Amino acid sequence: MSKNNIERISGRAPDELRNVSIKAGVIKNADGSALIEFGKNKIMAAVFGPKEVHPKHMMVSDRAIIKCRYHMMPFSTDTRKRPNISRREIEISKVIREALQPAIIMEDYPRTAIEIYIEILQSDGGSRCAAINAASTALADAGINMRDLVAACAAGKVNGQVVLDVDDTEDKTGEADMPIALLPNTGLITLFQLDGNLSKEEFDKALELGKTGCDKLYKLQRDALSEKYFNDKNGNKEE
Amino acid sequence: MKTNSVERKYVMPGDVVIEGDHNPLANVIKSGNKIISTKIGMAEISYNGVRVMPLSGTYIPRMDDVVIGKVADMNGFAWEVDINSWFFGILTGSAVFGRQFSSSRDSMKSAFNKGECLIAKILSFDRTRDPLISVSGPGLGKIKEGEITYITSSKIPRVIGKKGAMIKLIEENTGCRMTIGQNGAILLKGTDEARTKARNAIELIGNQAHISDLNDKVISLISK
Amino acid sequence: MPAVKKRRIVDSITKESIISNLANSTRLDERGLLDYRNLEIETKILKDKTNGSARVKLGESEVWAGIKVETANPFPDTPAEGVMTCNAERLPISSQYIEPGPPDEDTIELSRVSDRGIRESGMIDVKELCIKEGERVYSVYVDVAVINDDGNLFDAVAYAATTALLMSDMNKFTIEDDEIKMLDEKQPLPIKSVPVSTTFAKIGDKIIMDPNADEEEMATARVTLVTDENGKYVSAQKGKPGGFTFDELREISVISKEKGDEIRIKIREAVKNGA
Repeated sequence: MSKNNIERISGRAPDELRNVSIKAGVIKNADGSALIEFGKNKIMAAVFGPKEVHPKHMMVSDRAIIKCRYHMMPFSTDTRKRPNISRREIEISKVIREALQPAIIMEDYPRTAIEIYIEILQSDGGSRCAAINAASTALADAGINMRDLVAACAAGKVNGQVVLDVDDTEDKTGEADMPIALLPNTGLITLFQLDGNLSKEEFDKALELGKTGCDKLYKLQRDALSEKYFNDKNGNKEE
Repeated sequence: MKTNSVERKYVMPGDVVIEGDHNPLANVIKSGNKIISTKIGMAEISYNGVRVMPLSGTYIPRMDDVVIGKVADMNGFAWEVDINSWFFGILTGSAVFGRQFSSSRDSMKSAFNKGECLIAKILSFDRTRDPLISVSGPGLGKIKEGEITYITSSKIPRVIGKKGAMIKLIEENTGCRMTIGQNGAILLKGTDEARTKARNAIELIGNQAHISDLNDKVISLISK
Repeated sequence: MPAVKKRRIVDSITKESIISNLANSTRLDERGLLDYRNLEIETKILKDKTNGSARVKLGESEVWAGIKVETANPFPDTPAEGVMTCNAERLPISSQYIEPGPPDEDTIELSRVSDRGIRESGMIDVKELCIKEGERVYSVYVDVAVINDDGNLFDAVAYAATTALLMSDMNKFTIEDDEIKMLDEKQPLPIKSVPVSTTFAKIGDKIIMDPNADEEEMATARVTLVTDENGKYVSAQKGKPGGFTFDELREISVISKEKGDEIRIKIREAVKNGA
């Protein structure tokens, strides 16, 4: 039963991402920063640190601590979001932190804090994945020691079809959404969530599709960093 | 850029620099038989091992480094100096007034005030305590005039150049005198015009530290 | 040992060169005393979710504004008037001196001063925002995000808020059988005037316009003055512990109008180019 011919609302192919662009080094005052546009998502991430831990009692003697805040501006959503921090934002801050943490070599920075701030200026489906890509680029831009970059992308099921990168409108009619984050060189999955329902077969397919999405995002992060550091748009140039 | 014994290439975090039995020197980790970069920068594979010269990142204090900082805070016994790093450099009263220093007799403010800039040397740093710094030594002490400009500290070697060639080039062509802090702060002294030229040259090095014909670019910028 | 680097410290040699430059009537970034920094205004940057938006760069200070127009119940004391609120957030990405959490007093001052400038100028005709007296009115939310802080956020936030409001639209409505129905069709906001904010700082006995972060930190006093296009002064706020003399304020009020007219043209141009 091939369902490949079902048209997506967006007109995209089942394995097609929305338009994505990443730019590294967009905020002068931050140690590292990135702006990602992922479909309608417009997200800025900034990294400060390593720096002094505040409050002092949170300091750990043999490694850094990671602080991460995912925050939406009131104008980023369809109906205005109240400025107070919501339970949803707190949960997403936590899963993003835990997605990035395995990539950061925290032992290299004892007694310090690495602060990651994510500001959602315009939201669309998949903002947590977009945010992880921006934060990973910002961390590399800040020169924090990392084992790998972290790439993230969601797969899901819409109209009975497993598709890559579910957006806002698809999410409303969708049956499942599965955001994942990946350390591409080690193959470690560091963010994994699912809501909806998937058969075993669909589950495997979504996972596979999600991985191809992550690979694309990994490449885009590299391109953004190359453009800033090597004045070269297409990554990987060797001298 | 290629020399006989050193191989260079651009890398990013997670990139395998080389496989096989090599010695990890700096900004790389060993995973199995792979050497993996942890930073954006230029990997150098040489006889001694593998290192990555980073193109971004915060200054990590090293013993005997000369740094330029500004006094951020003070208490009765020490000054806390912002040296552009994770921690403040600690300049103790006794490092300035000598061993007989007494907080009641010596006026801390007579030596350094908040906001004042100084050239100092890192005495000790082991990542478990804040770095201790000292201002006694030739060329060290309070900065009375000039302008401080900043660059990513890992690019300081490019500002210095081979055996100081780049400093010499900039100083001779602009008439600006430079004092270089390993923490990425550079003190410029000279006329407005000289400082502007030198500042622009340093900015160029900051943006294009990875390229090989840096000397020519700097010369053409200065002589514009 | 230090807790956090709480406040910006201007180092002594920068301070000295700022002061010696001012004595020669120039500034470190080669501006004249009464010049503002390069002003970049971009519109429609968040067009998918907002009714209007703008991004303003004043030198290195960067802010983004977004407008949301929704409907709400009117306040009991003004049953026939809509609601407009302006709120500014200094995001922790904008500077190492800002911690996440509830807004500090500087941020609250920033929010309230920018709100007042728009409100008191009567930029929005709130009577026109009434849908049905005592029952339903439009509620215009202006939210401004500070992305990078290099001083004089008062003006940057004001320009972004004003431009975004000028770009903004709202849904039309009909009333059938006492039922309010919102339509998909859009109409512009009822704009009556365009207020322009100008900010001055005093260092020594010199008055400068549009202080950057170092100058603002060094200044003994700061004053923000908002004028509308009829040349009326609509709102003002003096900040920082020092003060101004009568003569100084008179001088500032003249320049504020002049520069305000200049900047108003720039804002209108940006709106025209964005429309």
